[in-house]
Amino acid sequence: MALILGLAALITVNLIVLSFATRSYSPLGMGRVAISFVAPFQKLITRSMRFAREVWEHYFFLVAVSQENQRLKKSLSQAVEKNNHLREIELSNLRLRSLLNFQQSTPKRVLAAEVIGKDPSTWFNTVIIDKGEAEGLRKGLAVVMSEGIVGQVIETSAHYSKVMLIIDRNSAVDALIQRTRARGVIKGGATDQCYLEYALRKHDIEIGDTVISSGLDGVYPKGLRIGRVSDIIRRNSAIFQAVTVAPFVDFETLEEVLVILDPPKHEFETEQ
Amino acid sequence: MIHCFYISACLGLIIFQTTVMPNLPLLDRFYDLLLPFVIYVGASRPVRESLIFVLFVGFLMDSLSGSPFGVYLTTYLWLLIGVEFISKFLRLGNRLLLALLVLGGVIIENIIFIGIWGLLGSGVQYPSEVTKRFVIQLLAAIGTGPFLLWALSNGQKRVEKWQTAVFAQRDKPGT
Repeated sequence: MALILGLAALITVNLIVLSFATRSYSPLGMGRVAISFVAPFQKLITRSMRFAREVWEHYFFLVAVSQENQRLKKSLSQAVEKNNHLREIELSNLRLRSLLNFQQSTPKRVLAAEVIGKDPSTWFNTVIIDKGEAEGLRKGLAVVMSEGIVGQVIETSAHYSKVMLIIDRNSAVDALIQRTRARGVIKGGATDQCYLEYALRKHDIEIGDTVISSGLDGVYPKGLRIGRVSDIIRRNSAIFQAVTVAPFVDFETLEEVLVILDPPKHEFETEQ
Repeated sequence: MIHCFYISACLGLIIFQTTVMPNLPLLDRFYDLLLPFVIYVGASRPVRESLIFVLFVGFLMDSLSGSPFGVYLTTYLWLLIGVEFISKFLRLGNRLLLALLVLGGVIIENIIFIGIWGLLGSGVQYPSEVTKRFVIQLLAAIGTGPFLLWALSNGQKRVEKWQTAVFAQRDKPGT
């Protein structure tokens, strides 16, 4: 009887502690010690694996590289042409922004970091990167790649940081549909997909639409690419539509990332 | 010496799980390799020692994971309680029983993680995906759990043998 009561009390205490722990992600600070302890080994193993893979890819697949080179040269010439066109648009955009009294958009300070370890759990999605407080990183900074948003820094130690990916269940990014400016919140899920939540049913969203960050969450700068709408379910009785988004970033092959050191600021200049 | 072996083994498993496994196609959805470790420590060491190791491993895993702090500690502590309870009635040297314990550990861990998802208020968008992941982990645990336990046991025997040889040589008269 005492054993059963003891077990019941233990289960109750355990459930209470876990429910408090799930309220918010607030590391006690001890995690920093663990990350600093394990991360150097992770870095060593990850770098060794990458070195072996690079040797394999660079020296044993030269035929494929030659073919790829031809294809890339062709696409580069197309990209140069497109770049010239976009440069013209950028210049006209700058002129219009100054006319509308927009703040000068300054280039953001970024820091390159290497992914050295992934989440031990298959139910959560975080990575460890090899830059920390000593390099200027702090909690809440946005992490991106050329393809799009990766996630945000959630914990830092002296030389390493933990990054929560946008496909993680706890992640939330305020987002816009680029074409129609329909708003919603990008959240992670069980798969490598994201979900645009709180998108009103009346808003025009189509499969293939690009989703970008709105900049309103104070973490991610405005206009960063997130993903493409891959599925939409509109139920007659629901206020919101269920929108599935395939991220542009391939999280399976994540190796290097960029941390934006300047958090987004208000887009408009204050009236004098 | 044997404690060094346990610390190295758990660190090795954690590093393998967070660096090598996510990059291998078939292993990226694998079960938690620390579960067999917890079972092995629970079965082969006294309760106090096992508890210290389990707290250490749980703390490391909770710190490295994006899950709420305490999920791994909870899983490992309950698994240890289960192992200690079963060891009062059954002999844990039986490989089949140890394999079943690994299977039980995978089930407990997944139930706790799914429960945490429920507490996070997230629900499950794709129950089929979750079920698939669960089944893969169970099959992997059946297939590789006993092998991992055997590797740990074999490693410990080798370390003990080496330790005995070193001390015997040191204690030899005239050395």
